[in-house]
Amino acid sequence: MTNAGAVNTRAVVLDILTEVLENEQYGHLIINSALKKYQYLSKQDRAFIDRVAQGTIEKKITIDYIINLYSSVLVKKMKPVIRNIIRMSVYQIVFMDGIKDYAVCDEAVKLAKKRGFAQLKGFVNGVLRNISRQKGNIEYPNSKANMIQYLSVKYSIPQWIIISWQNEYSDADIEDMLKAFEEKRPTTIRCNKMLNSLDELKKKLDKEGIKYEPAAYIPYALNIYDYNYLEELECFEEGAFQIQDVSSMLVGLVASPKKGDTVIDVCAAPGGKTVHIADLLEDTGYVEARDILPNKVLLIKENISRNKLNNAMAVVKDALVLDEEAIEKADIVLADLPCSGLGILGRKPDIKYNMTPEKQEDLVKLQRSMLEIVCQYVKIGGHLIYSTCTINQKENIENIRWFADNYGFEFESLDNVLPKELHSKTTAKGYIQLLPGKHNCDGFFIAKLKRIK
Amino acid sequence: MAIRTVRELGDPILRKRSKEVTEITEKIEILVEDMIDTMYEYDGVGLAAPQVGVLRRIFVMDVGEGPIVMINPEILETSGEQSGDEGCLSVPQKAGLVTRPNYVKVKAYDLDMQPFVLEGEELFARCVCHEYDHLDGIIYVDKVEGELKTTIVEEGQE
Repeated sequence: MTNAGAVNTRAVVLDILTEVLENEQYGHLIINSALKKYQYLSKQDRAFIDRVAQGTIEKKITIDYIINLYSSVLVKKMKPVIRNIIRMSVYQIVFMDGIKDYAVCDEAVKLAKKRGFAQLKGFVNGVLRNISRQKGNIEYPNSKANMIQYLSVKYSIPQWIIISWQNEYSDADIEDMLKAFEEKRPTTIRCNKMLNSLDELKKKLDKEGIKYEPAAYIPYALNIYDYNYLEELECFEEGAFQIQDVSSMLVGLVASPKKGDTVIDVCAAPGGKTVHIADLLEDTGYVEARDILPNKVLLIKENISRNKLNNAMAVVKDALVLDEEAIEKADIVLADLPCSGLGILGRKPDIKYNMTPEKQEDLVKLQRSMLEIVCQYVKIGGHLIYSTCTINQKENIENIRWFADNYGFEFESLDNVLPKELHSKTTAKGYIQLLPGKHNCDGFFIAKLKRIK
Repeated sequence: MAIRTVRELGDPILRKRSKEVTEITEKIEILVEDMIDTMYEYDGVGLAAPQVGVLRRIFVMDVGEGPIVMINPEILETSGEQSGDEGCLSVPQKAGLVTRPNYVKVKAYDLDMQPFVLEGEELFARCVCHEYDHLDGIIYVDKVEGELKTTIVEEGQE
């Protein structure tokens, strides 16, 4: 007999780590599909898989630093299977309470053997027992001696990202931001005002036993807690609310469409901003949500129909191909373009390892090519709202300054549309860089420009 | 030490009744030793002689407290009920829900043909029943409730 009741949760974690850390697959997708596949496991087992996989990915650089202190072989020289078994075991030893270190070592050794590395059992065991003995005495880099290495190891973030941020932010701001990424962010929902008032939504949440509190900046948004599967809630299915981060809702505020406006959302998936704008239009006007991938367009369509919107549509269209029919048709173009995603490291920790300076350069080029095309859809006197979920200035303010200089657009102040607490010198000038730690939301950039010719 | 080939579902030998052991020969001693090695090699918690192609009433098991050898076992008493997933080395990479007694009292003979009685709950009880079934040609898939599930594909064994 095999003890199938105890599916080896650590083997599941190892497979996730191999996909994410070796094959550069998206962490959130791989973890979700594993949790779906092992639905029949107990809640504890699933929580263990989620925690160890997420945690090991999030803390990879810190963990590798510790391993390199105590292992005769450097992490990058190890075989991938061995490297990831040791990484996830170090995560459990150093960052988790309630698991005995010897059990972690035993399981690691068994797993190494199972994956065909019986000859490395001694090595795995030796490194892990050494770290387990020494875990109280680990010497981390000192912030005074080497700020970059200190931040990199403490917050598990590649050094090149810190160096590039140092051009734009102070060390203290960077550390605040990195700290904020480590805090668990609440899930925020936006009340669908066409279908119910905020008070009605609250009553529905009360009825389904969901705890909530007001979210930052947006009067009709809530942070919610203590839910299991949001998608299963009755009030979700009937479209009473949309799950959306506050930063993304601010795009809707910045756009502030007038009744009857035509809006084109050029890279719309999953459609959070689309449905927000459609809700703000109060059943007038028209929002066209575009995306290049048919399955993502399906996702937008689902959101539109669940929110019971008659004034929005989703279509498959490539933002890099000029759509002649749309030229000068839109009062507002939303351009939330593909970006490095460095503003949402708290939600998707693997982004920081897979991004490179070269990829970032390529993204800047892609964003500029897209802007050149989609800006043509804006009517003279209409607006372009540019946004990204990154904090990299090249993709943000530098890009949009270049754009304004070359394409007949000018910045328009955000102060009449954003809440007072967000007003600053830059909002008066027409853009805002939201920073985790400083602002109460994801890292995000929004700029508003008016077409003048 | 030798690892024996594990017979898989579909092999007719798994469906036959095994015969009582009448004396401990050297051949039987080697068989038992190999069964223990084979069980550990493939991460089983139990293995019955017919699974390595020998129709004798012998099984070995280790539910976390060291190896146990049972020769000519007899289940004396069962009680309670447990439902959970189990798998079998003869049905690789599958698992299924089986309901078993939660408590089992079993009598068997050791390698010196001395009788002993053991009792236990949960995994012990499940494993004794599972292995005992093998000696009568019964496989857990006969008793599974619902569908067989695919478990993780192990790399490195290819």
